Amino acid sequence: MIRVGVLGLAHVHAAGYIDVLMALDDVEFVGASEPDGLLRSRWADESGLPAFEAHGSLISAGIDAAIICTATNEHRPVVEQLAAAGIPVLCEKPLATTLEDAHAIVRACEAADVLLMTAFPMRFSPPLIEGAAWVEEARIGSVLAFTGTNNGCIPTDHAAWFADPVAAGGGAVMDHTVHLVDIMRWWLRSEPTEIFAETNQVMHPDADVETGGILTVIFANGVIATVDCSWSRPKGYPTWGGLTIEAVGSEGVFAVDAFAERLEMWSRGTTSWVDWGSDPNLAMIEHFIGAVRGEYPLAVTGVDGLHATEAALAAYRSVETGQPVRFDSLVPGDPTR
Amino acid sequence: MIGAGNMASVHAEGWDAADDPIVAVLDPDLERAARFAADHATDVVDDFAQLAGSVDVVDICTPTHTHASYIAMAAEAGIDVVCEKPLARTGPDALEAIATCDRAGVQLLVGHVVRFFPEYATARELAVSGDVGTVGIVRLDRSTYLPAGASAWFSDHAKSGGVVHDLMIHDVDYARWVAGDVRRVFAKRISDSGRGDHVLATLRHEGGAISHVQGSWAYPVGSFRTALEIAGSDGLIVRHVATPFAGSVSTTEEAPDVPEPPASSAESPYVTEIRHFSDVLQGRAEPRVTALDGARAVAVCDAIALSIETNRAVEVAP
Repeated sequence: MIRVGVLGLAHVHAAGYIDVLMALDDVEFVGASEPDGLLRSRWADESGLPAFEAHGSLISAGIDAAIICTATNEHRPVVEQLAAAGIPVLCEKPLATTLEDAHAIVRACEAADVLLMTAFPMRFSPPLIEGAAWVEEARIGSVLAFTGTNNGCIPTDHAAWFADPVAAGGGAVMDHTVHLVDIMRWWLRSEPTEIFAETNQVMHPDADVETGGILTVIFANGVIATVDCSWSRPKGYPTWGGLTIEAVGSEGVFAVDAFAERLEMWSRGTTSWVDWGSDPNLAMIEHFIGAVRGEYPLAVTGVDGLHATEAALAAYRSVETGQPVRFDSLVPGDPTR
Repeated sequence: MIGAGNMASVHAEGWDAADDPIVAVLDPDLERAARFAADHATDVVDDFAQLAGSVDVVDICTPTHTHASYIAMAAEAGIDVVCEKPLARTGPDALEAIATCDRAGVQLLVGHVVRFFPEYATARELAVSGDVGTVGIVRLDRSTYLPAGASAWFSDHAKSGGVVHDLMIHDVDYARWVAGDVRRVFAKRISDSGRGDHVLATLRHEGGAISHVQGSWAYPVGSFRTALEIAGSDGLIVRHVATPFAGSVSTTEEAPDVPEPPASSAESPYVTEIRHFSDVLQGRAEPRVTALDGARAVAVCDAIALSIETNRAVEVAP
């Protein structure tokens, strides 16, 4: 039996992860820790599950593994606390809001020799796994270009901090760039070297962060890619958003819609899209638990989270300069690259 | 009709529908000219000078690099001009063509046919009427294969400008129509696909909107994919791709030399376009697309090409 705790309830995914933990055999959900009293009591009242005020109290209650669902800028101290206690970590994405914090998170876990996984559920999405295989098998020859979209509704309906420049480290760029960059790195086994970004705030002009963004990413192997990270799905859209990748190769093209496995439903005046496919969150947490048991190495690590975070931060640098930014100018001598 | 190739036949259908007779056809390839003349019951001329005094308008459907000189000849002869896009090979050439026509007092119209595709026209109408609020992000895609055979000049950058000036220009013009003039561009190109070029461009518009434009000749022979999405502060317009593909698109032997975009309406958008031009030339309508629009689209394409060449974001002169 693996005893798992969820540290932080600020992230929209916390409730879903807890559902998964409750459902898994051989996993015991110990409880959730949340310093914010309102957030904590609301969740505790609804779920009837054990709630802790301090993260330290949950750690002391005895956990074998932890999932971090705090606001992004709070990841670092929580990871450091867990690393010091020798507890394996599954951390929400993006890993951090600054490069300094992202590196510190990776270093802390390396120094303590604890597992650090970044929560990239798309690594466990069957359509994207199929896309990875198509690339691996060179079904379209060598990949030359990707066109990626990860669009969504503004996530502030779930939690205001997603559009807080300090807590989230930015807006749509920070929220959505990391998923597509991680998928492209995974498929290509190549690192981004250069990035150009245009952002705006036409959608949701009252927010404190950018809500629209188109990024161009260049990989070390010469592949060119664009990433549309915009919060461009309006209120009333049938679902939260989506993720697509189109690939052009030397022998053909393919396209993948990670959320094509859905039904369209019209019910009581609203339209909704209901997923029927396998659940990437479930597969991701199962993978984490298996790695904690020592059954296999992690398929996606903290270093993956670090590199994806670098891309988002490079995009912001490009917005400042109005020109493409080379990654080696961002982190000279980065030992993880 | 100047030029007797694929596009000339497409436009001829429009002039027929407008009841405007094609008086003559001019093409250096006399065999092709004769074929066109037979198909459209018209005469072949072998010199532009023979057209003076006998036609009200010339329709230029020649390779891109020859547009400017034919426009100049028409202006000199006092003949109105309809010119297939791009208006000219470069932005400065296009502006020069406009100035020449202005001085000569002749009309100059440019065939940006996407403005006549009903789904594009309707989406633009919805967007500018404010139905989705202020336009923020525009996504446009036009992915097909390199025109083959007789149209080999397409693949000569010096003559056609490549996929940017020949294909992507449709969506560059449309992006301007929807989101206003373009201030800055950044673009990347794949040239070694073994097929045609593939270009991804980001346009920053004056008002702050951003357009993502994909133009590709690297898609399998026989395919032609177009897509349209306009996201605004209060909503979203999407033209769904009717048959999303998965896996490799299979190639077909029966593909036409020149790719034909998917068109859904009862009337060919090219016919709608030419009928509109006929109305404009006869003072019955204001042009849906001006020669200046045509020149601006070329200038933005010039900037995209420069960005590709320099790996820099390029400002577009106002």
